[in-house]
Amino acid sequence: MFENLKAFFKGFFSAFKAQSTEYLEFEERELENVFALVLMGSFVGIPSPPTTLVIRLMPHMVREIYVMQRRAEEMDDIFGEIAAMFEIT
Amino acid sequence: MKEYLIPKEGFRVLFFIGKGGVGKTTTSAAAALTLAKKGYKTLIVSIDPAHNLGDVFMLELNNKPKRIVENLYAMELDMEKLIKAYLKHLEENLKHMYRYLTVINLEKYFEVLSFSPGIEEYATLEAIREILQRGDEWDIIVFDTPPTGLTLRVLALPRISLIWANKLIEVRRKILERRKAIEKIQGERKFIIEGEEYKLPSDEEEDAVMKELKKYKEEIEFVHKIITNPKKTAVIAVMNPEMLPLYETERAYESLNKFKIPFRLIVLNKILELEELSSKLKVKIEAQKKVLELIKSKFKGVDIIKIPMFEEEPRGLKWLEKIGGAIIGD
Repeated sequence: MFENLKAFFKGFFSAFKAQSTEYLEFEERELENVFALVLMGSFVGIPSPPTTLVIRLMPHMVREIYVMQRRAEEMDDIFGEIAAMFEIT
Repeated sequence: MKEYLIPKEGFRVLFFIGKGGVGKTTTSAAAALTLAKKGYKTLIVSIDPAHNLGDVFMLELNNKPKRIVENLYAMELDMEKLIKAYLKHLEENLKHMYRYLTVINLEKYFEVLSFSPGIEEYATLEAIREILQRGDEWDIIVFDTPPTGLTLRVLALPRISLIWANKLIEVRRKILERRKAIEKIQGERKFIIEGEEYKLPSDEEEDAVMKELKKYKEEIEFVHKIITNPKKTAVIAVMNPEMLPLYETERAYESLNKFKIPFRLIVLNKILELEELSSKLKVKIEAQKKVLELIKSKFKGVDIIKIPMFEEEPRGLKWLEKIGGAIIGD
């Protein structure tokens, strides 16, 4: 009984926690996406930073590139995502 | 002796620039030899892909400093080899990091990279930086550069790269701030990809990207500080007394001024001095005179040295010393 209650509260609060950082995480993702985009910009025709700098940063960019790829896949419904975030249905 | 050619604050860096074929290599070799004879430990480096420094000294040179005479060392950098080695090294690094490399096809990216515009400039800058970092081994470092266009872009790079580095640091800082804020609420966050777990860094000291950015900025700042310091660097333009080289030198003068790189001396090379003139040559000499006058009025605060056209090609140490004496001045 007590265990169940604990689990319930834990879930209850973590839902709040998740909600409270939702916007921040969105911002973070967007910035990471932009950061990766700027570095890999030469693919899509954005002037790119010094090549040396780009290739030096690449080994540490696993997450950013992953985020960028996912963003690119979701790009077709970016308004949908924003609407969901602001709970517009 | 010209004070901007000799060491003042640590080592002295001299860049010889100019249009192709005006005699940069000969002039720089002559200056280096004369400075070495005066007792300064001098290194002359050719960063021109069309290497002919070795031809001037009549020796085979490579990417290690080779002793020519006492106090004078020379080397030639093979840019193509440097670029290849550099990319190879990076590719290895990347392969190690990205287990899922095949998914996003980074291999292809690397194949393309070696042909990407600007890679030569960056590699040249890298090479210059490496030499400058070990600059204290020498009193004077003389660079024999590729034709003006490329050299100007290379010399402009540090400033442009600094702008990039600063902006990227700004964005990165914003990302880290967000991460920190989220971390405070959610606790330490993990990032899982292809079954591998990574901790999401939120501290500037922890974040590998930020560390690399800062390191890069530091390196570029080091070069930038040296090449904009008039006590350390001087650019010497070599030109022939003709209109086209004059225009090019003028443009170089303007853009170097913009980037605050000290432009100090013009060496006018291959001036025709003839006693008996045929009518065709007379026209040429008249044109030359016009250029000589124009130069005096156009470049204020820049020294000008005239070197005549010699009957034979100035190769070998004796000739070099003769020309060098005229450049350095006693």
